[in-house]
Amino acid sequence: MRIIGWICWRWKMGIIWKFFFCCCFIVVTLSIYGDCLSLEDCILKSYFSKNEVLTDSSFQDLLQDELSKFSCKLLPGDPNPQLTLSGLERRLIGEGSHRHLSSTIQLQVPPQSFPLQSCKLVMIERLPSGVFADPFELDHLFHHGAYAGIGVFGDTNLELPSVSSNRSAVEIHMNFEHSISSGAMSELGIRIDLPLHARYAPLHESGYSEVAFGTPDLLVSCSMEGSSGMRSCLIVPSHDSNRLRTDVVWKIPCGIMSHTNVVSVVTFATAFVSTLVIVFASVLYPKPR
Amino acid sequence: MTARAMMNLRSILIGSAVFRLVLILYGEWQDAHMEVRYTDVDYLVFSDAASLMASGSSPYKRTTYRYSPLLAFLLIPNSFLHRAWGKFIFSASDLLVGYFIYKILKQRKVAEDLCLYSVMVWLLNPFTFTIGTRGNCQIIQAAVWYGLVVHFRIYPIIYALPIIVVLDPRYVQLGKKPLLVNWKSNTQKPSSQSSEEASTRYNLWTAAKSMFSKERILFGLVSGGTFFLCTGLFFHLYKWEFLHEALLYHLTRADPRHNFSIYFYHIYLQYGHQLSLVEKLISFLPQSIVQLVLVSSFAQDLPFCFFLQTVAFVAFNKVITAQYFVWFFCLLPLILPWSDMKLRWEGLSCVGLWMGAQLHWLLWGYLLEFRGQNVFLQLWMASLVFLLANAAVMAVFIRRQRCSPIFLQMKVTDAKGGVKSE
Repeated sequence: MRIIGWICWRWKMGIIWKFFFCCCFIVVTLSIYGDCLSLEDCILKSYFSKNEVLTDSSFQDLLQDELSKFSCKLLPGDPNPQLTLSGLERRLIGEGSHRHLSSTIQLQVPPQSFPLQSCKLVMIERLPSGVFADPFELDHLFHHGAYAGIGVFGDTNLELPSVSSNRSAVEIHMNFEHSISSGAMSELGIRIDLPLHARYAPLHESGYSEVAFGTPDLLVSCSMEGSSGMRSCLIVPSHDSNRLRTDVVWKIPCGIMSHTNVVSVVTFATAFVSTLVIVFASVLYPKPR
Repeated sequence: MTARAMMNLRSILIGSAVFRLVLILYGEWQDAHMEVRYTDVDYLVFSDAASLMASGSSPYKRTTYRYSPLLAFLLIPNSFLHRAWGKFIFSASDLLVGYFIYKILKQRKVAEDLCLYSVMVWLLNPFTFTIGTRGNCQIIQAAVWYGLVVHFRIYPIIYALPIIVVLDPRYVQLGKKPLLVNWKSNTQKPSSQSSEEASTRYNLWTAAKSMFSKERILFGLVSGGTFFLCTGLFFHLYKWEFLHEALLYHLTRADPRHNFSIYFYHIYLQYGHQLSLVEKLISFLPQSIVQLVLVSSFAQDLPFCFFLQTVAFVAFNKVITAQYFVWFFCLLPLILPWSDMKLRWEGLSCVGLWMGAQLHWLLWGYLLEFRGQNVFLQLWMASLVFLLANAAVMAVFIRRQRCSPIFLQMKVTDAKGGVKSE
C-alpha cells in the first residue's frame, strides 16, 4: 500500500486511486447465478446430466420415465388425477431478431378433491435450432418475479451461428392462482412470455430461413402426502389436439450463397483502395521535420 | 495554472460530471421503463463477471466476458453498493482523461483557449459520454504503465513500434527528462527551438540501425515484463480460460454477425469453410501496410502517429463496434492544436462525412436486426462506404496537420566537459 501510495502521490492521483483500491478490498459473498433457479426438481437438468445434445426422441423417453417415477397416484391401481388442457394458443410477438414467444394456456381443474398441494405448471420449451434464450436475461426476469422458476439447458452460446450450435431447451415453472383442492371446477388461464433471439441462419437463396416451433411439453407438478411423507409428483393434462393452436414459424433473414464471389472481390478491392488513399496521403504530404 | 484557467477547466469538468450523472440516472429510468435498454449489454457482462468474482468464482464463467480480471475486480462494488457503480467509474475515467489532455497540452505550451477547446472535444463528444454512461479504463514508469495498458486492452500493442522508433538516444536518454517540442500557432515565426529539432529524418531504417540502444532495450524489457507478469498472475488464478477469453480470442476473432467492418458479410458467407492462404494474406495485408506506412511517416510526431494508427486499426479490423471509436477520440484533442483544419467548413465536412456514413450503416442495421428485413447486401455496402469515409477523413487530417516532432534533440557532454549538439 505504501508503494502504491507513493506512486499515486507522484502522479497526483493518490486520492482517486486510494479510493478505488480501498473499495475493492471489500469482498462480499454473493450468489445470484444458477442454472435451475429455485426449481427443486428440474426435468431438463436430469436430461442433460445424461445427454450432451437435445434430441426429441431421447427426451420423450426420459419424460416417460420421470412420469412413471413421479406419478401422482396414491396407490398403483388408482386412476391419475384428471386435469384437462382446454386451450393452448401460441404467438410470436415482435419483429426482427429479438422476439417473445407467448403461450396462453387454459387448464380445467376438476371439482373432486385429492391430496395434492402447491401445484405449479411446468412448461418445457424444446427450442428449434436457430433460436436461443439468453440465460442472463431470463435470470433478470426471474428476479423481477416473471416466473416461479426457470432454467436454460443445452447450447446457450450467445454468439455462434446456428450451423455451429446445438439445440437448447427452457424449463419454466409458473404458480397457480387457485388451489387445486378447492371444491368447484376451476378454469385457469396462464400466460407465459419467453424472450428469444435468432441466431445467424444457414445461407439460403430465398434470403430467409424458417424456424418452426413445436408444441411445448406441459405438465403439472404438485406435492402430495405419500407413505413416507411429502413428495413431488407429475401429471400430464389430457388435451384435445384440435383445440390447440401451436403453429408458430419465425422467418429469419439469412445470407445468400450467390453473393459470395462478388462480396469477396469487392470487399478486398475496397480495402485495397482505402489502403492506397492512406499511403498516398502519407507519402505526398509534409512529414515531421 | 492561473486562477482563471483553473476556474474554466474546473467548470468544464464539473459541468461534464453533472451531465454524466444525469445520463446515468436517465439510463436507470430507461432500463426500468422502456423496451430498449439504455445500458449496453457489455456492462451487464462486466457486472455478472464481477459478481462471480465476488463469490470466489472465475469471471470467465460469464459467457462473452473477454477482458482482464482487473476490470471485473473494479466492478465488484456493483454487487453490494449499486449496479451503476461501474458507470460512475467509467465516467470518472472520462473526466480523468479530460484532465490528462489538459495537462499534456499545457506541457507543450499550447495556448489556454485551445487547451480548453481540446478538452471539450473529448468531454462533450456524444460518443464519449454515452459510451461511458451506458457502461461501455521517465521510461520505467512509462514502460510499466504501457505493459499494464496492453494487458488491459490488447490494441495498444500497435503503439510499440513508434515508441521504439522515438526512443532514439539523441532525444530520449536514461536518467534525463526528454525535452518536449513546444506548440506554436500557424501564425507564429519559428522559435529558437526549431534549430534544435530533429535534423535527420526519422525512418524505420534509422531506427533499425540503432535498434539496440539501452533505452529501447530497457523499455522493451520492463513493459514486456509487466505484461507477462500480469498474464502469468491471472493465468495462475484462472488458467486456460483466462488466456483464451482475454487474449487469444481477440487475436483470432472473426465475427460473422453484422458490425461496421467490411469483412462481416464475407466472413458470414464463408463461415465453416477453411480460408486459403491467399485469402488470409489478403485480409491481413491492408492493415499491415497501413500501419507500417503510418509509423514510417509519422512516428516522430507521436500523438499524431498514435491517432492515425488507431483510426486505421479500427477501420481495417475484422470486427468494429461503436466502443472502439473511443480509442481514437481520446487522442483527437491531443492533435487538434497542430491542425490547420478550420471547423468551417472542412472540419464540419469531415464530421458530417464520418457521422453520415455511420448513420447510413445504422439505418440498414436497424432494418435487419429490428425489422427482420433481408438487407445484408445493403448493410455490407454501407460498411464499405464507412471504410472509405474513414480513409478520406484520415487523408484530410494528414493534409492539414502541422506535423511536429515530440522531442528536442538533447545536448551531449563531450570528454572535456564541453557541451555539444550531435
